[in-house]
Amino acid sequence: MSTPRADVLLWAQRVLAKAGAPAHELLEIRQHAPPDVVSEAFQRVARMAHPDLHRSHLEPAELELVTSAYSRVAGAYQELRSARQAAARKPAGKDEPQAPSIVAQRLSAQQKAQTPEAAGTPTGGASASMNSKALIHYRKAEMALRRGDVRGGVLQIKMAIAADPGSTFLRTALGEMEKELTKKP
Amino acid sequence: MSVALGIDLGTTNSCAAIATPTGVEFILGPRGERVHPSVIAFPSSGGVVVGADAKRYKLTEPHHVIHSAKRFIGQNIRAPLVQLALTGVRYRVEEGPNQQPIVVVRDRRMTMPEISSNVLLHLKRCAERQLGTPIKDAVVTVPANFTDGQRQATKEAGRLAGLEIMRLINEPTAAALAYGFGRDRQQVICVFDFGGGTFDVSLLRLNGEVFEVLASEGDFFLGGDDLDRALGEVLAAECNRMLRVDPRPNAALMMKLMMGAEAIKCHLSDNDAAEGEIDGLEMPGMPAQRLPFQITRKQFEALISGYVNRTIEVTKQVLAGAGLDARSVSEVLCVGGSTRIPLVRQRLAELFKRPPNTAINPDEVVSQGAAIQAGSLVGNLTMGSGMGARDAVATLGHSNLASGNLLLPQTQAKRPILMDVNPATLAIHTAGGFTERLLDKNSPIPIERTRVFTTSRDNQTRVEIDCCRGEERRYTENEPLGTLVLEELPPKPRGELKIEVMFRVDADGILHVRASDQTSGARQEAHLQVLGAPVHEDPRR
Repeated sequence: MSTPRADVLLWAQRVLAKAGAPAHELLEIRQHAPPDVVSEAFQRVARMAHPDLHRSHLEPAELELVTSAYSRVAGAYQELRSARQAAARKPAGKDEPQAPSIVAQRLSAQQKAQTPEAAGTPTGGASASMNSKALIHYRKAEMALRRGDVRGGVLQIKMAIAADPGSTFLRTALGEMEKELTKKP
Repeated sequence: MSVALGIDLGTTNSCAAIATPTGVEFILGPRGERVHPSVIAFPSSGGVVVGADAKRYKLTEPHHVIHSAKRFIGQNIRAPLVQLALTGVRYRVEEGPNQQPIVVVRDRRMTMPEISSNVLLHLKRCAERQLGTPIKDAVVTVPANFTDGQRQATKEAGRLAGLEIMRLINEPTAAALAYGFGRDRQQVICVFDFGGGTFDVSLLRLNGEVFEVLASEGDFFLGGDDLDRALGEVLAAECNRMLRVDPRPNAALMMKLMMGAEAIKCHLSDNDAAEGEIDGLEMPGMPAQRLPFQITRKQFEALISGYVNRTIEVTKQVLAGAGLDARSVSEVLCVGGSTRIPLVRQRLAELFKRPPNTAINPDEVVSQGAAIQAGSLVGNLTMGSGMGARDAVATLGHSNLASGNLLLPQTQAKRPILMDVNPATLAIHTAGGFTERLLDKNSPIPIERTRVFTTSRDNQTRVEIDCCRGEERRYTENEPLGTLVLEELPPKPRGELKIEVMFRVDADGILHVRASDQTSGARQEAHLQVLGAPVHEDPRR
């Protein structure tokens, strides 16, 4: 009630019109804003537009609009926050052993460009768990998988295992991929 | 004025309240009780009995008394923890459609939402009798770590009871709301909610009317029930040793021992030792026996220390998750009956270096918060005194609506803003058995995120999107939620098809997933049906 109804509806339309825009634009702040600015911006949105504030005086369709806009801004806030947390964790070196980025996403490629934090998944865990010759084949396997070529990937992984027969990491990876192959012939 | 009920639907006990201009008023049972056991009996004499009266039948007809239904609601019956919990109940549970548990009593098959709807209906009727007005809206609380299926099933229970569930709110958040509403607090608090069947801990930042959950963790299979069972097992062994009868296969006998265990547990919260005997133990082929017992608080604490340690571990996890030090928490709220146990309070004081706040009533504070939120959602929340937790304790008697002639400011209160979080990471299955996260744990809700994916093979016409919940990178180590299928996609070279996957968690914490094919003109969409979520057995309904 603190906000006139027209204001919140205008805000909602503005947010929804920005579909696909980067997170900071949805929060209406500048790019690379410091964390406290980000969380303050989200709190400001919540005080004005949290759907619960409007439930009793908006039409259902209008409320749906506000809820949808609020949800998207929350998504943008989370994106900025988790990117920051991920960045904060890395230098500390306390990152859990990263699962191998052995696979291109089943449906992937596109999203790499879309979400910078998903790009270049670290393969530090991989390099530590095999010798350098095996690593070359492993990287090739990764590339094959990014192209969607599972069979090519399996071949490269097998060559990597031949170069480093002791690596359990590679054997698990092979197991996973073979399972994937049988699932989708 | 429309009245909306706030309901704390608990594992062992439930509680309901409404926000009135004079404060929060509790809904009383037929005998004036504020706390209603979540027990439903189907006695041989017919009919359905709910609440305090149903508890009596536990001894005479243990197979026809449904208790702890919250442990099974919205669960996948094949989940290992559910199977474990099933060993602790005496009524029959079978597998129904969509892997949901079905209770079988006297040849009646009932889903868990149907069972729980009896408790809600009971509360609704009590409220209607007390207030003299029909009630159709309610806010119901659920454990913060309740899954999607559990939330959907709880809403379904409300629907079956003829209530519109305006909102599901998390129990710790409700407690924080009762504590902070109208008091303009600026602080970080920890809500430690250790109830009958579930355990939750949440950290919140209170900033005037904004209640922002920073992080939340929990275990929905840890509660007073487990403590009773630990003690009950000891009593059973004792029974075997002294009376030379193994009570374990005997449902009625075990039930009697469990009830004894519960009473001993409560006694030990205020006393250093419990001594006495459990009488009226009906043994086959002999007169009723008595089992003497003698147990000190120390012995009991040794028995339950494993469970208590677990709660403290989870509390440490939540602090780490929020990136906070225990010292930055300026208040620790004890919620749920199990926080009456001195060992729990002592361990909390050690962790936070300050005594926990025990001035609030741990059984009632959650329903008070729900009532405040319900009042806020229907838009009739006024700033009365005695809204929040502190005053509730002083309210010994029943404050009648009609007698509210105290001078109170009748101004419209500032509505509380609850910024709750999503309790677990939600992700989809990608090639090679890994996951791609869409929504992180502890992100604010309601929330929506969309990602665009593409196919990995040429001329792929079918895409399956497996959704899961959990923190692990490997798909199989997470809890599967269900699969979305897009079929008859236009054949295209790999990478050209654009598939938009949208994850939305609404304000009730319920997940909606939509996948649509953006390339073909015909926007094909699929929605997720969560495993274990309620579906009707009878297609006619």
